[in-house]
Amino acid sequence: MFKRILFATTASPSCDNAARVAFDMAKRYGSELIVFHVLGIPSRGFSRFVTDVRTGEIVTFDDDYLGWVKEEMKNTYAIQLDMHQKSRIEALPGVPHTEILRAARKRDVDLIIMGSTTREEDDGTYTYRSATGSTLQDVTKAARCPVLIIGRPVASVWGGFSNIVFGTDFSRSADSAFLFAYKVAKTFGCTLHLFHAYDISAIHSGKIMEQDEIEDNMIEAREKIRKMYIPRLKGFDNYEIEIWEGIPYVEIVKFARENYADLIVMAHHTRKPSSEKTLLGSTVEQVVLRATCPVASVNRPDKIKDI
Amino acid sequence: MAKKILIVDDDPNIVTYLEDFFSDNGYETCSASDGSEAMIVLKKEKPDLITLDLEMPEEWGPRFYRKLMKEEEFRKTPVIVITGLTGGKYAIHKAVASITKPFDRDKLLKIVKDTIG
Repeated sequence: MFKRILFATTASPSCDNAARVAFDMAKRYGSELIVFHVLGIPSRGFSRFVTDVRTGEIVTFDDDYLGWVKEEMKNTYAIQLDMHQKSRIEALPGVPHTEILRAARKRDVDLIIMGSTTREEDDGTYTYRSATGSTLQDVTKAARCPVLIIGRPVASVWGGFSNIVFGTDFSRSADSAFLFAYKVAKTFGCTLHLFHAYDISAIHSGKIMEQDEIEDNMIEAREKIRKMYIPRLKGFDNYEIEIWEGIPYVEIVKFARENYADLIVMAHHTRKPSSEKTLLGSTVEQVVLRATCPVASVNRPDKIKDI
Repeated sequence: MAKKILIVDDDPNIVTYLEDFFSDNGYETCSASDGSEAMIVLKKEKPDLITLDLEMPEEWGPRFYRKLMKEEEFRKTPVIVITGLTGGKYAIHKAVASITKPFDRDKLLKIVKDTIG
């Protein structure tokens, strides 16, 4: 199912957790793994200079420097590369997200694996807010294949998939995510949790919601899952339906943690299906940053149909 | 009767070290090198406590823990996570303790004593 995986990395410690997942998946599922690094150029135009990812300094780009970067990547992942023969290193200069997307398209990869951000943890400033990195944002919105994101170190310790949570809000764009979750579950014999979080955050702004109303909506959501998704499982019966009320991202993270999920699948953004203009939806972004397991963001049906 | 500890780790050096250390302190031990082997040993040996590594070649620690929780007979068996991974303490919330390698053996012994006596 994952014949070819592209692991987009800075080859710095911020990508170590994503690397653990990438190499483990490739080995476990016999995938070809492209360890891909883009030497970021400082502007969008042609440039002879690139930003050195470790020092942050602007350096002149030439073949020697490229060779040196590749050598450094080989050293960083020496043990993993040794253990998985079907992996190779690629590096080139450019705008990171453009080159990652181009490489994914050209090499027809089934999955892109990335860390959520290279930024340091809470820097202590007043305006700090957890957010995903801009490269991830740009890759997830335009990628034709699912993007697997490893947000926290703990998200990298599962080793293979056997327990998948598909988080839905019943939007049209959640369909591609559903299809991906279902195909992974079926291929690898996983339990598929079809999960919806009923949003009651309006309570905090003064909207009164009776418990009957909340529970009626939860019953209705369960019925909706039964109607929308179950017939499409085509006899696959290793699934469970669960509806929790609360703030959606909190509930999804809690549900995944309580059920020891090793993969969460969600639509990239639910308001505008397959849009290249929208950023990662706010719910999925928070799930990415908070989940204890990898999160797959799916924006387009293209590659999933082929799987 | 001496309490029994199941040591789950893929590093044979750690296993030998922990086996010696626990035996010296009056515990019985048994061991497994990954999650699937641990499940077999668990059922055979019925340990009183498990020390669990997270990253192992085949079946990883958290997946073993998930299976453990489904076993009525063993779901209350205390687990101590011993791992080299950062953020390992978040992998198994319900573990008695989470220790990062390299670890302080006296601290480990205290946790074991406090847990199973």
